[in-house]
Amino acid sequence: MTAPNDHGTICSLLALAVAGALEAEEQRRVEQHVAACPGCAAELAGWQELAGSLRRMPTPQAPAALVERTRARIEVQWVAQAEMRWNQQLMVFLVLFAWTITLVTWPIVRLASRGVASWLDVPYTRTWTDLVCYTVLVWLTAGVAAVVLAVRQRRERKLA
Amino acid sequence: MTVESDVSRLRRGDPEALAALLERYQHRLYRYLLRMVREPATAEDLFQQTWLRVAENIRRYDPARSFEAWFFSVARNLAIDHLRRYRPESLDETDSSEVSREWLLAAPGPSALERVLAGERAGRLAEAVAGLPAIYRDVLALRFEEEMKLEEIAGVLDVPLATVKTRLGRALEGLRHKIETEWRGDTR
Repeated sequence: MTAPNDHGTICSLLALAVAGALEAEEQRRVEQHVAACPGCAAELAGWQELAGSLRRMPTPQAPAALVERTRARIEVQWVAQAEMRWNQQLMVFLVLFAWTITLVTWPIVRLASRGVASWLDVPYTRTWTDLVCYTVLVWLTAGVAAVVLAVRQRRERKLA
Repeated sequence: MTVESDVSRLRRGDPEALAALLERYQHRLYRYLLRMVREPATAEDLFQQTWLRVAENIRRYDPARSFEAWFFSVARNLAIDHLRRYRPESLDETDSSEVSREWLLAAPGPSALERVLAGERAGRLAEAVAGLPAIYRDVLALRFEEEMKLEEIAGVLDVPLATVKTRLGRALEGLRHKIETEWRGDTR
């Protein structure tokens, strides 16, 4: 049995009771009070009716064309993402490849340059300048390869 | 197929999983967005944006969390961003406790609410919901239409559980007050 001065408190809990938002103890107090108070019982019935009507509100249907468009857009997005991932991987590969080629072939180029210089009887003193020029040359080659690949890819995408 | 298996296949970019999830959530998502923004054209735009965002960020989704909660939080963030940009006033949180108390002291007898809900005007309930501020439409849709648990709603809204309860109470009281005052005259 709830005290009469609980009436106001219980009234304020009725909306939350139908929303299932009360703690177990509060819910029990509400149920006890409602069982003994016709006014609150009628009030609770009103709230239950409202909650039931909210649950039964008609569901607007998503247009079929919208769903189809969405699916198509996501698939296009997936292709673009896959392409971006591939491009990133290619870029990493090209950077590593360019550095590897530079470092591996530089001793050979240096030896060959020295050989040519001594054959021409010219003193070989521009080691660092040559290294820089050689690195730039290798990187330019890799850059051209990347651009050619990108252009080819873009053309393929347009044809698709 | 369960939602979990569809989600894990979606993470691998499986188009069939995408189709299955679209099929499963299309009407629920559209309904939720429509309740939030109230305009079909905007709801359609946000519908597409939500799915694009989900497909883009699916690898960041934590499978330990409820997919639905994550999915609806993506939709909600987009809807709230839209409302902030175009209708900042609809995000206001008002204290409806006073009006509801007044309503509770109304005269006995069949109320406008009872007549509205029982009669042919039940369809107008959606209009009354649409007249509430966005934060209340949001919590009502998630609780009564999406039938989410309060904890899940707290996750979607990114607010404490107590705030969810407060908003739910105020939303219901505001809705009842709205029906009672606005439809009092035309339900006789």
